[in-house]
Amino acid sequence: MTKKAGSAGAAPIVVDGVSRWYGNVVAVNDVSFTIGPGITALLGPNGAGKTTLLHTIAGFLQASKGAVRILGEPAFGNPAIYGRIGLVPEREAVYSFLTGYEFVLIAARLHRLPDPEEATQRAIRATGMEEFQKRKTGGYSKGMKQRIKVAAGIVHDPAVLLLDEPFNGTDPAQRLQMMELFRKMALQGKCIVVSSHILEEVERLADDIVVIVAGRLAATGDFRAIRRLMTDRPYSFTVRSSDNRGLAVALLADTSVFGAELKGDRLTVQTSLFSEFVRAAPRVARDTGITLRELVPVDESLESVFSYLVAHSSQSRGRG
Amino acid sequence: MNTTIFTLTLRQISSQKRIRLAAIAAILAPIVIALIYRAGDVGNPVDWTANTLLASLMITLVVPLACLLVGESAMGTEVEDGTAVYILSKPVPRIEVVMAKAAAAILLTAVVLLPVMIVAPVLSLDGADGEGIVLGFFVAAALGICAYTMLFVLLSIATSRPLIIGIGYVFIWEGLLGNLFTGTRYLSIRQYCLGVADGIATAPERYFEAELGGAVSLILILGVIALATLLATRSLSRFELRGED
Repeated sequence: MTKKAGSAGAAPIVVDGVSRWYGNVVAVNDVSFTIGPGITALLGPNGAGKTTLLHTIAGFLQASKGAVRILGEPAFGNPAIYGRIGLVPEREAVYSFLTGYEFVLIAARLHRLPDPEEATQRAIRATGMEEFQKRKTGGYSKGMKQRIKVAAGIVHDPAVLLLDEPFNGTDPAQRLQMMELFRKMALQGKCIVVSSHILEEVERLADDIVVIVAGRLAATGDFRAIRRLMTDRPYSFTVRSSDNRGLAVALLADTSVFGAELKGDRLTVQTSLFSEFVRAAPRVARDTGITLRELVPVDESLESVFSYLVAHSSQSRGRG
Repeated sequence: MNTTIFTLTLRQISSQKRIRLAAIAAILAPIVIALIYRAGDVGNPVDWTANTLLASLMITLVVPLACLLVGESAMGTEVEDGTAVYILSKPVPRIEVVMAKAAAAILLTAVVLLPVMIVAPVLSLDGADGEGIVLGFFVAAALGICAYTMLFVLLSIATSRPLIIGIGYVFIWEGLLGNLFTGTRYLSIRQYCLGVADGIATAPERYFEAELGGAVSLILILGVIALATLLATRSLSRFELRGED
């Protein structure tokens, strides 16, 4: 590898102050991060700008501001770079008139591989698609389409593999197999980026994480550290009881509670310790002789986790 | 020539039902019309064949519409549904992509239309001396297919509404405005085709006469093909994929 000397030390993917807007709509807003070898999850709710960001990295969108380098080069207007990059797009459309084998073989041929048939067989084996390779892709299930797209994306053994929501439509067994494949590639020193809007989907897979919310970088770094950040965040519960005011006073005395708000017949309680509060609340109610009717966590959606991260990370960066 | 993209595009176009239906219509309509004319036998067959059958029907209508439909299927559909990414995320120079896509579209259109350009006029001439109009229009159609296809491949890459803009160009610019203002003839593939046909045919002016000279038309149509190829390549090199978010 002659290229190695030139790009030694630099991360395979460098995103530097990238913004991208469509007319007046800002899809990605001043985002900077680097992605090293191994598996990185690009996480964010739907519409956060993950696809825009991935397409910008892959050279299918031009950054309105800032710069992207992949393997030390810009990808936009640089098709030669695709010899070392694999891209698995989110859109489901494939050439429905081709068989799975033909679809991957065309990718192998376009990469001008010395033995395209052999490379095709290898990629199809790696994704577990041997059984379906002779069938037309038009009749594939979502999960099969995802796997044949991955097969076409890895046929040239790329140094960087970019996957946009690759687990959409896959069943748990397929997901495990795909994860196994990505892990194997990561062990070989490849750089793999997997986008997803489902935290649980990628948390066992990725070492690092890049969280995007509303086009902004919300968090980046080690997955475990960010997971901790997420579990330490405050939780809110709505409480209904026979005496909300009395219960609020009693609960505020408990160490797990740091805030309570009364609104009509509803009491909202903030706590930093999820499980302790769930155990403490009924006990406090019983001790004070109040009947607890309902205890519901209010913000368990991923969006709320993400927005907490945004608020938190902008505070820590002193933006407020 | 990238044979992988070329054969992929051939299959991509011919696998579409609307293309197969359009091909049948493009073959049958001119032949049936020529046979009806022959049965009626009114006016001068050279005049009718040159002006009505070849110029008005084939060059003005059938050739541009066929190229629009096939050119759009070769590139436009792929850009629209996102499958273009599978070809574009490969280390293939963009000019190769444009050339292979256009070559496949041109080949399929030519295979369907060029035989019609001979059979239909031979039927309507019914043994009369065509004085070079069959050969003239055959060459004109061949060049026209190349020029229109390249134009529509360019529109498919550079715009998000290739069909509307293509139809607008053919019917409004070349059709309506071409009849109202003579200046547009210098910017009309149809006029270049007619010029080429006239330049080759030896038929006297009272039967058929184009607005542009043969040599000028030939240079202009080759210029259009070269320019459209260049612009399509440039446009594809800066191609952006629109995501769903």
